[in-house]
Amino acid sequence: MTVIGTDVARLDGIAKLTGKQQYTGDILIPGMMHAVLLRSPHPHAEIIKIDTSEAEKMGAVCLTYDDILINGQAVVYNERSVSVPAATYRDRTILPNKARHLYEPIAAVAADTEELAYKALQAVKVEYRVLQPVYDPQEAMEEGAPQLYDKVYLGDKEVDICNNIGVSRNISQGDVEAGFARADRIFEQDFELPRIYHAQLETKGCVVAPEPDGGITVWATAQSIHGNRQLLGRALNLPLSKINVKKIAIGGAFGSSIQVNTVTPICAALALKARRPVKLISSREEDFYSHQKYPVRFHVKMGVTNEGMITAAELSALVDFGAHQVQPLPFLGCVAGWFASLYQYGGNIGFHGTAVYTNKTPCCAMQGYGNPQTNFAIESMIDIISGEMGFDAIEFRLKNYRGVGHEFWGQGPTIRTIIKSCGVEESLLKGREIMGWSGRGRHTDKQGRIRHGLGVARGFHTSGTGGPKEGEVIDYSSAFIKINEDGSVDVVTPVMDLGGGTWDAIAKFVSEVLQVPLQRVGLSPTDTKSTAYDVCTHATRGVYCGGGAAYHVALEVRKKLLETAGRLLNEHAENLELVRDDDLGQGVVYVKGLRDNQMTVGEIARQAQINSWGTLQYAGSYRQKNCPPCFTTHFVEVAVDTLTGEITIPKVLIYGDCGTVVNPELFGGQLIGSFGRGMAYTLYENLTMNEEGGFTTKPQAASEPIYTSQPVKDGELLNHGALADYKLPTSSEMPLIENVLVRHTDTYEPTGPFGAKGIAESAIASVQAAIANAIYNAIGIRFYRLPITPEIVLQAIQKKAVK
Amino acid sequence: MSGTLQISLKINGESRVLHTAAHSSLLNLLRDNGYFDVKCGCEQGDCGACTVLLDGIAVKSCVILAMNCDGHEVRTIKGLGGHDRLTSRLQKAFVEHGAIQCGFCTPGMIIAAGDYLRHDGRADREQIRRAMSGNLCRCTGYQKIIDAVYEVAAELESEVCG
Repeated sequence: MTVIGTDVARLDGIAKLTGKQQYTGDILIPGMMHAVLLRSPHPHAEIIKIDTSEAEKMGAVCLTYDDILINGQAVVYNERSVSVPAATYRDRTILPNKARHLYEPIAAVAADTEELAYKALQAVKVEYRVLQPVYDPQEAMEEGAPQLYDKVYLGDKEVDICNNIGVSRNISQGDVEAGFARADRIFEQDFELPRIYHAQLETKGCVVAPEPDGGITVWATAQSIHGNRQLLGRALNLPLSKINVKKIAIGGAFGSSIQVNTVTPICAALALKARRPVKLISSREEDFYSHQKYPVRFHVKMGVTNEGMITAAELSALVDFGAHQVQPLPFLGCVAGWFASLYQYGGNIGFHGTAVYTNKTPCCAMQGYGNPQTNFAIESMIDIISGEMGFDAIEFRLKNYRGVGHEFWGQGPTIRTIIKSCGVEESLLKGREIMGWSGRGRHTDKQGRIRHGLGVARGFHTSGTGGPKEGEVIDYSSAFIKINEDGSVDVVTPVMDLGGGTWDAIAKFVSEVLQVPLQRVGLSPTDTKSTAYDVCTHATRGVYCGGGAAYHVALEVRKKLLETAGRLLNEHAENLELVRDDDLGQGVVYVKGLRDNQMTVGEIARQAQINSWGTLQYAGSYRQKNCPPCFTTHFVEVAVDTLTGEITIPKVLIYGDCGTVVNPELFGGQLIGSFGRGMAYTLYENLTMNEEGGFTTKPQAASEPIYTSQPVKDGELLNHGALADYKLPTSSEMPLIENVLVRHTDTYEPTGPFGAKGIAESAIASVQAAIANAIYNAIGIRFYRLPITPEIVLQAIQKKAVK
Repeated sequence: MSGTLQISLKINGESRVLHTAAHSSLLNLLRDNGYFDVKCGCEQGDCGACTVLLDGIAVKSCVILAMNCDGHEVRTIKGLGGHDRLTSRLQKAFVEHGAIQCGFCTPGMIIAAGDYLRHDGRADREQIRRAMSGNLCRCTGYQKIIDAVYEVAAELESEVCG
């Protein structure tokens, strides 16, 4: 029996259950100093002077802008390094000489204890020249708006920044105007999605130990150990061979650590200056101000024929990415790609994206990289059009979706693949039976205080960013696998597991290829010194790309194993059979048809060793040549309380298409966990801040009073960076377990290891639109902005009643 | 150490004499003394990652003053697993149900679940949901955690009845 598709206790289960799993904050090194950050109290200010002398008298080691200069120059970098350099904007330094958002770190202090470090921090004197901030992306582009930057770099080129526009991208295909001309009706609509926060449970942190050879050892909250190493090499001017980034568990990520975290180079620079190990762990409040999800304003235009064919579509996106570019360039490309890949649009697609600097916390990827945002706009639009034109929303989707044989843009316009496996049709057809779609009724038929509605939306995400040609994004992974002298196997992979079970999938692939029992496959603790490159665990690439590399390396080891077995059994390798023998707890090799004459994998490996033939091992790098979409469909039933505006979710059906399911429980965990986050994005989460002092060309409306017990600074989050005032779902708000149905489609991805592709980010893409569509079905009110809070629902109900 | 108080307490069955600042939390005291199995997620009493047992009751150690624990007994996940049968059963159920992803909330979740069951918690999903609502998990959506706790609760009930 194969281990693929069966539930097995996860490899790191015992460590995590017993509290023995180490995370970055749990690293303790003798003589370690504790670091804290001095953060700008102004959302926009030049730093004229920093005086650290008093702090230093207290025994603290301080780091300021002057300390990060190499030959008089600060290294300007982008902390996100998954794009090729030529497609990477660089605008930041380890510490800045200008603060561009509230609480941006501008200096760091390390001392023997955290308490002393805080005392020393208070003794640091900073002189600022305060500048006016700008918060609204539309206002930021106006004449006279304060400018965050004059110049930044794109690759090696210096580029001017005008009107705070960081990036603009226009992408088109076909003839959009001709497409619209063929349509019987044109639909246009605006949508808006808020800033939210990753709220990964472990805050970002770093520990750095200087080594006697002048190098450093690094433990950091990271989704890519090699990404961290490369950036530290560049920013600190150290050879990569002197930087060892350890692979350590991460307490949730959701995209928040694709880039190298701000604390990491600061901690490393401090450790090098202090010549002592330094630990720097963000508080929750600091973490709120480190990265947030991209908020987007969309304008959608679609042309549709009376027969229900979409003839053309156009999407404009305005992105407010905050104070630094953690890569809105590929973000805009991806938004275009998610949009383009949902439907065929008669081949006529137009995209206009603008991404703008504002004096806010920088935005970075958060589960979906623009996909949940785009999907909310497009899948709401599909529902609007279906309703307006009298189409069945499922039939309309089936007529227009992109499936097998169509092109999918896995990571913007330069990374494309032909779809080879697709569960869209199955999920929609089976889903509508399971959920009683035909009986959902119209909102006009519904009565009473609590009104139920059923909505559907479908989405996808890419599995990695590989492709037949190189594009804007780097994608390959590596592995080293060896069969030990007792037949057990060590797998050394640089791939990070963010909790989703990537390592378990990798171990299963290796177990299956080498026919070694899973319990005898071990994942080695490792680091950047002993692994080759892997880009990052992002873009839902862990299983498909990271697992794909391990799969291909394991095939090479299998070849060596069979060659060696052939030498021992006096037979050609191709005449040998390799199977797992569960009674022996080993793999065995025998001549086909002659089971009597068999050797265990352990015996073969041992013979290879004692005969000095060498270890059965292989190390290699591998790039996936495709980026197959994994599809997800959500059918959501909502109950809207028309008296309180409260929305609950009595029932949900989640259909996932990840090709072969490798870990069924973990697959379900991805879908349900993502549903929880999508539900919160739709109904609860919103980072609001005090924007009163911001630049505006509009007359200031009398601002609503901010109800708070503490004064709120200009640019400050109204929740003060506290989880207590940032509503996340708890166990009580989730739909009841028995009413969450999880299914997988019967699909097989021919390019994936054992038919597998990804699932993670796909699982959130269509949650938002499915809920909003269900709300429309319940009460006949369309919401174009998230979150849909009880207050907003009530206001809308009252407005509708007045009409 | 200057400016600190000396307190005596039992941690995981072992008597300890430790120094703490007057304003220090139990969480900081524990982590400063190597109990890294107690995780720190917010230091504001919101997330529950730092849940421990104080005199047998689950508390969020970040909002308990260390000096108030003088003369009291603390148990962390390290001091429960392998010693306490209920905790071991919960741990087994968590891993079997796939209730663990990143694992950062897991020690606190297991202690909170044990606290619920030790206080006559029933095999009732609604009650379990409420009892566990002080512990945040951003990964799982809670369902598999509730499933795991429910399974142990149901087993306990059938053992009592049987």
